[in-house]
Amino acid sequence: MGEVILTMKEIDKSFPGVHALDHVNFEVKKGEVHALMGENGAGKSTLMKVLTGIYKKDSGTITYEGKEVEFHNTREAQDAGIVIVHQELNMLGHLTVAQNIFIGREFKKGIAIDDKKMNEEAKKLFDRLHIDIDPAETMSNLTVGKQQMCEIAKAISHEAKVIIFDEPSAALTEAEIEELFKIIKDLRKQQLGIVYISHRMDEIKVITDRVTVMRDGTYVGTLITKDCTKDDIINMMVGRVIYEDPKEHSMVAPDAPVVLKVEHLNAGKMVQDVSFELRKGEILGFSGLMGAGRTETARAIFGADPKESGDIYVNGKKVEINSPEDAVKCGIGYLSEDRKRYGIVVQKTVAENSTMATLEKYMKGLFIDKKKEKQITEEYVKSLATKTPSVDQLVVNLSGGNQQKVVIAKWLVRDCDILIFDEPTRGIDVGAKNEIYKLMNKLAEEGKSIIMISSEMTEILRMSDRIVIMCEGKKTGEVSIEEASQEAIMNMATREIS
Amino acid sequence: MKKRVLATLMSVSLVAALLVGCGDSGSTPASSSNDSSANTAASSGDASSASTTGGDYKFEIIVKSYQSSYWQAAVTGVNQKAEELGVTVNCTGPNAESDIADQVNMLNNAINSAPNGIGLAACDQEACLDALQTAMDKGIPVVCFDSGIPSAPAGSVYATIATDNYAAGATAAENLYPALKDKIASAGAPVRIGEVNQEATSESITSRGLGFIDKFIELATADGKTVAVIGNEYYVNNCKDKGDEASADIIIEVAVPAQTTVELCATEASAILNKADTIGMFGSNQVAAEGILTANENLDVLGTDPANSILAAGFDAGSVIKGAITSGKMFGAVTQSPLAMGQTTVEVLTKIANGESVSDVPTQGYWYDSTNMDDASIAPNLYD
Amino acid sequence: MSKSKVSNKSVISRLGGQKFIVILVVIGLIIFFSAVSPDFRKYTTFMSILDYSYYIALMAIGVTFPLITGGVDLSIGTGLICYSLTGGYLIVQKGWPVGAGMVVALLLSIAIGLLNGVLVAIMNLPPFLATLCTCMITRGLGSIFSQNFGISWPTSGTPGSWFRNIFKITVNGTKIPLGFLWVVLLVVLMAFVLNHTKIGRYTIAIGSNKEATILSGINVKFYHIMAYVISGFFAGLAAIAYSAVFSTVQPGTGAGFELEAIGGAIIGGVSASGGVGSVVGSLIGVYVICLLKTGLPYIGLQANWQQIITGLVLIGAVLIDIMKKKKEQK
Repeated sequence: MGEVILTMKEIDKSFPGVHALDHVNFEVKKGEVHALMGENGAGKSTLMKVLTGIYKKDSGTITYEGKEVEFHNTREAQDAGIVIVHQELNMLGHLTVAQNIFIGREFKKGIAIDDKKMNEEAKKLFDRLHIDIDPAETMSNLTVGKQQMCEIAKAISHEAKVIIFDEPSAALTEAEIEELFKIIKDLRKQQLGIVYISHRMDEIKVITDRVTVMRDGTYVGTLITKDCTKDDIINMMVGRVIYEDPKEHSMVAPDAPVVLKVEHLNAGKMVQDVSFELRKGEILGFSGLMGAGRTETARAIFGADPKESGDIYVNGKKVEINSPEDAVKCGIGYLSEDRKRYGIVVQKTVAENSTMATLEKYMKGLFIDKKKEKQITEEYVKSLATKTPSVDQLVVNLSGGNQQKVVIAKWLVRDCDILIFDEPTRGIDVGAKNEIYKLMNKLAEEGKSIIMISSEMTEILRMSDRIVIMCEGKKTGEVSIEEASQEAIMNMATREIS
Repeated sequence: MKKRVLATLMSVSLVAALLVGCGDSGSTPASSSNDSSANTAASSGDASSASTTGGDYKFEIIVKSYQSSYWQAAVTGVNQKAEELGVTVNCTGPNAESDIADQVNMLNNAINSAPNGIGLAACDQEACLDALQTAMDKGIPVVCFDSGIPSAPAGSVYATIATDNYAAGATAAENLYPALKDKIASAGAPVRIGEVNQEATSESITSRGLGFIDKFIELATADGKTVAVIGNEYYVNNCKDKGDEASADIIIEVAVPAQTTVELCATEASAILNKADTIGMFGSNQVAAEGILTANENLDVLGTDPANSILAAGFDAGSVIKGAITSGKMFGAVTQSPLAMGQTTVEVLTKIANGESVSDVPTQGYWYDSTNMDDASIAPNLYD
Repeated sequence: MSKSKVSNKSVISRLGGQKFIVILVVIGLIIFFSAVSPDFRKYTTFMSILDYSYYIALMAIGVTFPLITGGVDLSIGTGLICYSLTGGYLIVQKGWPVGAGMVVALLLSIAIGLLNGVLVAIMNLPPFLATLCTCMITRGLGSIFSQNFGISWPTSGTPGSWFRNIFKITVNGTKIPLGFLWVVLLVVLMAFVLNHTKIGRYTIAIGSNKEATILSGINVKFYHIMAYVISGFFAGLAAIAYSAVFSTVQPGTGAGFELEAIGGAIIGGVSASGGVGSVVGSLIGVYVICLLKTGLPYIGLQANWQQIITGLVLIGAVLIDIMKKKKEQK
């Protein structure tokens, strides 16, 4: 670790009604990876937005390379060498890799854009990062991981001295994360200052040198990573102790009836001959890497994608599911991993979202019985402990965790006994995660059966009664919670299939 | 939610408005509805035989717009007749035919000035209804010219003076047939006459189209030839005798484009002009006639000599058609007679004021070609 | 998305993807109509097809830009008539030189394009609505300028008719479709603009991901407006082509022209959701529409069929677009 390159001191920022940043301190040294942690809403993004000129600070000082600075927009920050690699990839899918990297500062030959030179320059950048990507390839043809590499290359091409990674690993496979870490370590060697924002505790331990924790817009403290434990960090983040212990043993009686049986399901390359059973009151974990075919399996069962062959039995009876409508009739609910795209309509109220799938129940003739709708929704808001000022609140104003609860309510209202949770806690902060876990356990106790697709090993080990492991479209293993171990699961999830 | 519904409704109605607008567009300013009864009343235009004399009458004349030569011709006719009969007329009209509200205003003002009668060429068939009621209540007689108002309150409109489109279409056949007669007589194989109609819905266009077809059949049959009508179903089914295509000596092929635009008329015309057996063409309004001329730009088959070219008859005027007739590309055309309409309007109003009974007066279409374009009786009717 | 390192391009996509298929369709249509109708196989027929295609082709070149941004420009059809009426009015009624009338028509077209751009890029109106409004505005304006009467630009043989020779000249009695040369040159030029200049690059970027383009520090508003200005300007050029090929311009018409241009662009591979498209493809797509339009009357089909068949071809083109996208996602 070298000298300090960036210091933010006593940064204060208020929005109407919210004190978003309360005299926050933060510094980055050359050649360090500095984690910035905190629950959603703790102020990490706001702090970074103040740094890069998207927000104007109320008070406090930013010192960069020994001089006090204030940027007015991301462009100015970029030009000075401070660059953000965004969580949501800002890629232009229809343009090539090189065109993306140099967007806004194209090389020109007269009035024409010099694509050849851009490809050459991009190649040089990739060489520097030891990445093998064809600069002339169309961006949308790359995997998410490769796209992220391009974002990093773009950041470096700005002669960046400080790079901020905002949840870079959220959409990456394990292998891609490996590669990302290699690059970050490389950049560290080149004496860049790196800010790493993430929720994943294990990554923090692996990649970062120091951790700064924020809570409710305040600075809590900075730790040297290797000198602290996970619990130390979590305690600082939530101000309370959270246990992430694995489940000791299955909560399901061995003779519990099978509610869902899938036999030899085939649906394209991503679902090949998948068979499994789900018992009443069980939480069945689906583990595997990104692209293992878990979501595709769920979608095929749910009728959202066409299946080629295979039988599905619900409560021992063979059923034909050709559309989500059929699935819902059989009592199967699916909570998509991408809430905003498939799960909820964010510009509608909690009540409207909750009853969307079951509107016919609330019709009075041609009209919606608003009173009944509200009453039912209130019941679920209460039983799921959804934090919302009222059921008339627009869903967009709720936090990720509470949005997820609205989605759950939607399917509970529908009387679904089999619920498929696809990455139920993605993008949800630690505190809210716990509530979702509690809720899932409660649902299982009440006799609902749950399939939980999750890429987080701790989540799988903590929640599942039994675990199905998939790899490249095939089921590669099934273990009970008693015999499950991180290593064993990882082994099956990465097994070479000949 | 409400907002979105509203937006959707708005855009739907916008689109609807657009489409409706599109449907009624493209007609020439002179197109007119033909609600004249089968009245065989003497055609106007000719000096009236009745010894109508004007007293100290004052009439208000309102035209559809005031600045085109078509309406200027009508106004000329009005003034000529007024001078002849010794009555006072006051002519007004909006700037454009689409200024419906302006015209209604003018109509109301005219009613308020309590004239002895009003001559009206209504821009819109519906917008004038209230004013017509008022005029009737006040006992002011109204005469419609150029376009009728079919839904006018009973008794408010005393007479309608408009082109007899069926007869005007027949006029085209009466002049085209004799020029082609020898060629038809000497033809070894069936020959083809093309007809391009802008559409198959409006009364004026369909009447002209059918008038041409029926008259052509009549003339050809008199010479012992058989005729078949093919193409657009409306015209085939509504003409007097659609005949049998397989055995006919003359085939009349009727084309109607999908939209009322020049380029689609041209496309349809090209297809017919390109056929080797085509000897004559008729375009039943300005757009259709210009479509035929546009098609000829590339084909170069039109002329005035039936031996080596196709003879085309048009309808209405305009600089393009007039130019084509002058240069011998177009054989001739039928024009409506705004001049006569203007004259007849004043004449009928005077008759009403004199207490005589009147009836609808269909006015003629006039045939013009390179030989008579400059005649004093024709030239004023040929607007640009 | 598959994990394959490089997308394996098929033979067809290497030959230009949809463009290649559409060229085959064009050739197929020519062969089909020629085989069925002997009258169709004439030089004059192809002259007519070219003559009647210029204004649609020019509109299609222009509208490709708003389409690629993910928007649309519905004002080009009525706009065309409006510009033509305005220029023609000045020439015929006010005695202006033909060149001056053309310049005014083009300036007006740029102004309307600018208005569209401002409404969409700065006032954030949905393009469909913004250009629908200007569609109606131009329709009204055209009628006002021409006092609701048809206007004929100088006809052949009269003074000032030289501009008709821009699109067609007669050499030794043979008519040469000069206009096609200009259309091709403009296609080459605009293809260059789309693929090799900032305007084109950012047009694609906006259609691809507008938010990301803004975050890249690009003056998105300017380039978004430019797409509509280009569209407007080409509607202005189309107005001149229309005036030169056809005799009288009727006020109140023009609605529907834009659908042929947009339809051509989409048949030619412009994605209805933006980000994808090529000027060359749009041009070829236009000829599918023009061939159908001209050819169907020759095989004795009533005109309304032409619209039905064009609609069906469009559905096919959009389906190809959707299937391509699905393939991309897999």
